[in-house]
Amino acid sequence: MTVSQEQPPDHAPSTTATYVYGVVRSGSIASVSTDGVSGTPVAILDGDGVAALVSDLPTAELRVRRNDLRRHLDVIEEAFRATTILPCRFGTLLDSRDSVRENLLAASRDQLLTGLTQLDGRVQLNVKATYDQELLLRGIVAESPEIAQLREATRTLGDAAYAEQLRLGELVAAAVAEQRDDDAARILDGLSHQADDVAIEEPSPEAALKASFLVARTRLEAFDKALEDSASAEQPKLRFDVIGPLPPTAFASAVVEA
Amino acid sequence: MAVATRGTSSNYLQRAPSPSGLADVLDVILDKGLVIDAYVRVSVIGIEVLTIDARIVIASVDTYLRFAEAVNRLDLAASQPAGIDELRGGSSKREETRGAIEGAKEKLTPGRSSTKEGSRSS
Repeated sequence: MTVSQEQPPDHAPSTTATYVYGVVRSGSIASVSTDGVSGTPVAILDGDGVAALVSDLPTAELRVRRNDLRRHLDVIEEAFRATTILPCRFGTLLDSRDSVRENLLAASRDQLLTGLTQLDGRVQLNVKATYDQELLLRGIVAESPEIAQLREATRTLGDAAYAEQLRLGELVAAAVAEQRDDDAARILDGLSHQADDVAIEEPSPEAALKASFLVARTRLEAFDKALEDSASAEQPKLRFDVIGPLPPTAFASAVVEA
Repeated sequence: MAVATRGTSSNYLQRAPSPSGLADVLDVILDKGLVIDAYVRVSVIGIEVLTIDARIVIASVDTYLRFAEAVNRLDLAASQPAGIDELRGGSSKREETRGAIEGAKEKLTPGRSSTKEGSRSS
């Protein structure tokens, strides 16, 4: 877009929908400079005590691109650096700015304020512990005579050993699952006491644990120390990846009945 | 704590302030955050394409066979890495996100959650 335009009026025409990024307290942030979804400017809609970060989306071009995922997060991250934000789920659209004011900010004011209070002074850290797959599988073969034996048999017989292949894979999968459960429990045990909340996700096959931790800023250092200890103890079989401090998206999952 | 000589901190613990890859961005924003459940809600943008291959359930014959193959390839004497990519099999990352927002005024449909389950084989 090359021509600068005035902000659309609050009574936006029906060809525009309102994209919502999240909710903050009124007056906690003056403006957001990051471009929003589809490259549109982000506005702050003020209500009574709570405010919404929004941008207008022409309904004629409601198509998400990969960039928009990043923009959604960029807007939330910018606000998060300045204040407490209750992030909305990606793709949250209401039909107008008025609707955001009436049906979200006014109708759910108390619930939103409660949600903000719960997230005050807290950040999210996403932790993933990924296996060195070769070390993992070697360990499993070494620990199970049955797997080792089947492995030899299937290597010799090749494609002729379909049933054995299947059995071998089944045993390995079960051994991997068991190992993951053990490892995940041990890692969680080491980290949870430094966090206020944990949201665990189903990890991909190569990972032992994938979880988001809600951590008070005042305990960030202690959490990082626990991470360092855990990662150090689990290496070289596992590698830890930590992303954050992030806005607490995984802990803002309430449903607001507007 | 004694750390192996090759084990510098960056080897086993990687820190990043913000997600860089698409998969990590999705981890932060997909199905996370406040849900506004209002009749005025227009729609959730179609995100079925974005479910990627993050959650593969180890439950199918196909997966068993891939495990068997990966283990068979392990050269227990030498070190020839068996790539995790083989375990993931046919899953592919979609570079382009192309979900479209359904028509205005449409209420949120359950399709959003069904796409997640769709990635699990039964």
